[in-house]
Amino acid sequence: MKIEHKILYSYFFNVAFIVLIGIFALQNMNQVLAKLRFVEISDDLNASFLEMRISEKNYLLYRDEKWIANIHENINDSMKAIEATKDDISRVIGENNLQLLRSYLDEYSKVIDEIDKSGGKDPRLETELRTVGGKLRDFFRNKTQLERQKVNDIISNAKSVLFISFLCILFLAVVLGRIVSKKIVVSLREIEGLALSIAEGNFRKIEDVTSKDELGSVILAINRMSEELEDRGEEIIQAKKLASLGVLTAGVAHELINPLNNISMITQNSLELYDYMSKEKRLALLNRVAEETKRMEEVVRNLLDFSKAREAKLREANINDIVRKSMQLMENTLELSNIELILKFERNLPRVRVDEHQIEQVMVNLIVNASQAMTPGGKLSIETKKGDEDKVYIYVKDTGQGIPPEYLPNIFDPFFSTKSSGTGLGLSVSYGIIKNHKGNIWVESTVGVGTTFTIELPAYGRTKEVKDEQ
Amino acid sequence: MSNKIMVVDDEKIVVDMAKMALEHDGYVVETFLSGESALARLKEETFDVVVTDFKMKGIDGMEVLRTVKEQYPKTKVIMITAFANLDTAIEALRGDVFDFFPKPVKIKELKASIERALEK
Ligand SMILES: Nc1ncnc2c1ncn2[C@@H]1O[C@H](COP(=O)(O)OP(=O)(O)O)[C@@H](O)[C@H]1O
Ligand SMILES: [Mg+2]
Repeated sequence: MKIEHKILYSYFFNVAFIVLIGIFALQNMNQVLAKLRFVEISDDLNASFLEMRISEKNYLLYRDEKWIANIHENINDSMKAIEATKDDISRVIGENNLQLLRSYLDEYSKVIDEIDKSGGKDPRLETELRTVGGKLRDFFRNKTQLERQKVNDIISNAKSVLFISFLCILFLAVVLGRIVSKKIVVSLREIEGLALSIAEGNFRKIEDVTSKDELGSVILAINRMSEELEDRGEEIIQAKKLASLGVLTAGVAHELINPLNNISMITQNSLELYDYMSKEKRLALLNRVAEETKRMEEVVRNLLDFSKAREAKLREANINDIVRKSMQLMENTLELSNIELILKFERNLPRVRVDEHQIEQVMVNLIVNASQAMTPGGKLSIETKKGDEDKVYIYVKDTGQGIPPEYLPNIFDPFFSTKSSGTGLGLSVSYGIIKNHKGNIWVESTVGVGTTFTIELPAYGRTKEVKDEQ
Repeated sequence: MSNKIMVVDDEKIVVDMAKMALEHDGYVVETFLSGESALARLKEETFDVVVTDFKMKGIDGMEVLRTVKEQYPKTKVIMITAFANLDTAIEALRGDVFDFFPKPVKIKELKASIERALEK
């Protein structure tokens, strides 16, 4: 069943339930009102009968005609009252009982008439009068009491019915809401997981799609997308390669055209004005040509590294050793640049599985950048650290000029450089290498204070280390 | 009276080479390494031709062109770009550039262009 229908049905169900309870309560109320009305009428009638009975007794005692007249008056009043409210009465006690009441009154009235006619000399009639009077009294007493009792019953009954209904509605609302939302949340989680794994390039599918609701169709749609992506993965990768090739060629061309232009201008002038140049000038220009060729060579080499970054030769290694090796490569440069070096190696670092040369290359790139950022000199601290959750960290921290926040999103892009003779490839190559090692690299920087690059690499063979300790 | 030429590029070797070639032909040449310093100098001195690189940090060639055309309409501007892509070319032409050269610059062509600029 669709979620939409589930929600709709349970909503209708609850509404119908509430309406039913309302009708029930209304009916109860009407019953109670009718019964109360009856009790009221019967109280009035009762009073009038009491008066009748008193007149009856008075007549039997004093034999005065005026009591008989009184009784007739009362009977008439009562009859009128009964006829006026006969609907109300019959609704409560039924037509039969109403007839019974009428017949009692008739009987009473007849007996009184007979007593009146006989002049009160027949003791048999007096006994009959008493009997009929008693019947009337009992009738009213019983009926009134019964109806009062019924009113009480209805009210207490309604009370418990309403209370139980209230509990039912509450229960339904909570349980239905819970079931529906739980189902939605659980399915959404599943879908989220699926989407995330697809985003990571793992074209997984949810195999058993049981629910036939909207979420089920969403899962089916994602499954289809996943299939499609997997089928077209090759195409996409090719397209990506082409796109980055486009970016790459444009970037390389830009990087190469400036030194090329310099060499070209120097050569044109040298050819044209050779005789007008001093020997020193010629030497200086040739040196410049050599420098520019080097610059071009660097661009090309970086480019090769960039394209090679994928085929890493992974070997188990200790990060501290790798960092130490790259420091050996850089020591001279740093000393020349008037940079103070601070090294902090954590001992018992978990081992990693990496391509040593590539990690060394990353370190060299970061250190070169750091030294370039601290032109008059500064402090470079390099630290290794064991993180929680099987991670190893390398921090490269400088006290250089820092990176303006607006450049931060771009520094890892290929060919992004703020240096007049930079290639802009160092960080993008480093990024590619670290990502290839399933690691992370990020930067924190404050302009005028310094920059810290952090490399996070997954530890390897942690289980082995634990075993060793046991 | 010899003609005054301004050369602007953020690479020193470029302006040096241009200066060397142009001075040999008898021009008076001043060189600047940024758009900012070039525009500052233009306030003091009138130049016949400005040769400027397109891509520079800060004030770039396009802005130099715009300022020159606004404030010194008689001065001719020649633009040098790494790549003559269509957008930059159109933009420069709209800005009334006199000529437009891609890198690597052929110095002879540049000289010819400057000559033409001075004839007009
Ligand atoms: N330690 C650092 N301090 C300040 N800026 C940095 C640092 N490292 C990198 N950058 C910025 O990032 C840019 C890109 O660096 P990179 O990819 O190595 O290229 P390049 O060094 O050739 O410019 C640099 O031009 C620089 O602006
Ligand atoms: Mg670099």
